[in-house]
Amino acid sequence: MNTALQPSTSMPWFDVNKGILDRRIFADPAIYKLELERIFARGWNFVAHESQIPATGDFFMSFIGEDQVIVVRDRKGDVQVLINSCPHRGNTVCRAEQGHTNSFFCSYHGWNFDLDGRLVGMPGEEAFYRKDIDKAAWGLTRAAQVTSYRGFVFATLDAAAPPLEEYLGWVGRLGLDMMASKGELEVVDGVVKNRLKCNWKLAVDNLYDWYHVGVSHGSAMRLGLLTTEGNAPDSQMVILGEYGHGIGGPGISEAQFADMESRLVHGKAGEPQWYDRTGINRLSAEVRAELGPVGYRSLGHPSIFPNLWIALTNQICLRIPRGPFETELWWFTMVPKSLTAEQRREAVFVATHYFGPAGLLEQDDGENWSHSTRGAQGSVSQRRPVNYAMGIGQDRVYEDSSGQSAIETVVNEHGQRWTYQAWQEWMLAEDWDALKKNHSQPPRGSV
Amino acid sequence: MVAAVELSISERVQLQFEVEQFLYFEASLLDERKLDEWLNLCAEDIHYWMPIRRTTTAKEVAREFTAPDAMAFFNDNKAMLALRVQRLSVGRAWAEDPPSRTRRFVSNVRVLDVVGDDIRIGLNFHLYRTRLDSEEDSWYGRREDVLRRTPNGFNLAQRHIFLDQTVILAQNMSNLF
Ligand code: FES
Ligand SMILES: [Fe+2]
Repeated sequence: MNTALQPSTSMPWFDVNKGILDRRIFADPAIYKLELERIFARGWNFVAHESQIPATGDFFMSFIGEDQVIVVRDRKGDVQVLINSCPHRGNTVCRAEQGHTNSFFCSYHGWNFDLDGRLVGMPGEEAFYRKDIDKAAWGLTRAAQVTSYRGFVFATLDAAAPPLEEYLGWVGRLGLDMMASKGELEVVDGVVKNRLKCNWKLAVDNLYDWYHVGVSHGSAMRLGLLTTEGNAPDSQMVILGEYGHGIGGPGISEAQFADMESRLVHGKAGEPQWYDRTGINRLSAEVRAELGPVGYRSLGHPSIFPNLWIALTNQICLRIPRGPFETELWWFTMVPKSLTAEQRREAVFVATHYFGPAGLLEQDDGENWSHSTRGAQGSVSQRRPVNYAMGIGQDRVYEDSSGQSAIETVVNEHGQRWTYQAWQEWMLAEDWDALKKNHSQPPRGSV
Repeated sequence: MVAAVELSISERVQLQFEVEQFLYFEASLLDERKLDEWLNLCAEDIHYWMPIRRTTTAKEVAREFTAPDAMAFFNDNKAMLALRVQRLSVGRAWAEDPPSRTRRFVSNVRVLDVVGDDIRIGLNFHLYRTRLDSEEDSWYGRREDVLRRTPNGFNLAQRHIFLDQTVILAQNMSNLF
């Protein structure tokens, strides 16, 4: 019998040293249930961008795992994250995806909740309850902690979670800073949502996957929407952070940076190079200082554990679990307020045509993940672990004197391995105390 | 602009017939994957647009669709449509390899108004798609199309697609509507 099938307590699913993964984690309902508790209900989750709810009473409906949450601007101007479930019988108190309201009025018996979740009234408080109800105790459940980082609103349902900035660490913050360095951002109206028949983790690990591009997106490549040069298979940079965050993808060399600089200084015309196209002003001294000496050279995809992908195209994507075999993808498009009307049109055009269910790139992704999920369900196929071993033991972590570090190499699977290593640590930890003690620090030296 | 109701009954009957025959023909080209031929029916200035629909309260239902300058599922000019068509012929367009099988139905066709050569129509549609052994998608919605009279018959000058779904319950939209 294959020994990889024998879970030990220390290494039940992912063999970090060999890079092989028990694919039952994509199919087992018990594992999924544990993920909802130990990952989604415990971690910090991106729920909305502040620009979506500028005024008191504005709300946007989001998810933390399978708990639906209302993200709403309250009367004090603070953002509240409320679980959308009436404490009376459990009914939802809000059924719109977004909008504006004065209160949340439950359609079952009429309990009414203020924008901060307090129960403020109900029919029959005197006549039926005879005033024997403690309204202060029966408000909507609030997220344990809500924090906004540069406009990105995160919430956690676990009071023991460390503060958001500590949770993100320098790598998570760098991912958000890359986006925020473009200037004050606003979400373009319309979150693109569609549902795939795949396990959420397969969608997440793909964001590090620069191996699939030429094949999965072969048609887009042949149309010239993507280029091998732009995917930079020989110049990849992977930045790994605590708790499973990471950034993986092309890195620009000092020579390419010098080329950008000289074209700016000498006003050389001509087509912008692929490394000019992220909208990040890498040539600005402030942006360079903000992103740091390693960070400013990364054109990679930041991943905020567990399920937020920050894409290069002015977009971020949530991968929301909807059962072990279903995932919803939500694309938020955010552009700097400072863009001219023409630049904004261009940014929205690109965002509309690359990703999303009708996007020329993304159309071809979903089926690979849903069929990989299917491959985890066959009673024999699921016995065979899957291979995340590319480049294992072949690379070194470069540490800059600033404290930033990165692996600089060719196309690889370091980011995926880091994700599953972290995932496993989250799943094994009983609570935040255990996770704080037992999570891995980003690797140093040989990886 | 001539509102359809201002036309004589015989003019309306003839126009209705012409419009419907064009819609059936055009739908059959898409069903049969004769996409180059379909593209030839599109006017150079076509606007092909499918905004995003959101669940709102009844009070805010006027804001359920995104505006033309906001995000959309499709917001294409002719060049973008040509790219979609070309994509399917260059290989490695996996969403359509193996190809999906589609069936398009249009009904409730109404001529709304006529401006010069442009005939604005409203209709309901159903696009059924099946693929591989068990994939099934069904999209219903309303369209607002503009058909333009040319010496070679009608051209499609506008297709605005108002889907009834909010979250797209399909792994992709690799087909044209
Ligand atoms: S369930 Fe909400 S008022 Fe009864
Ligand atoms: Fe992809």
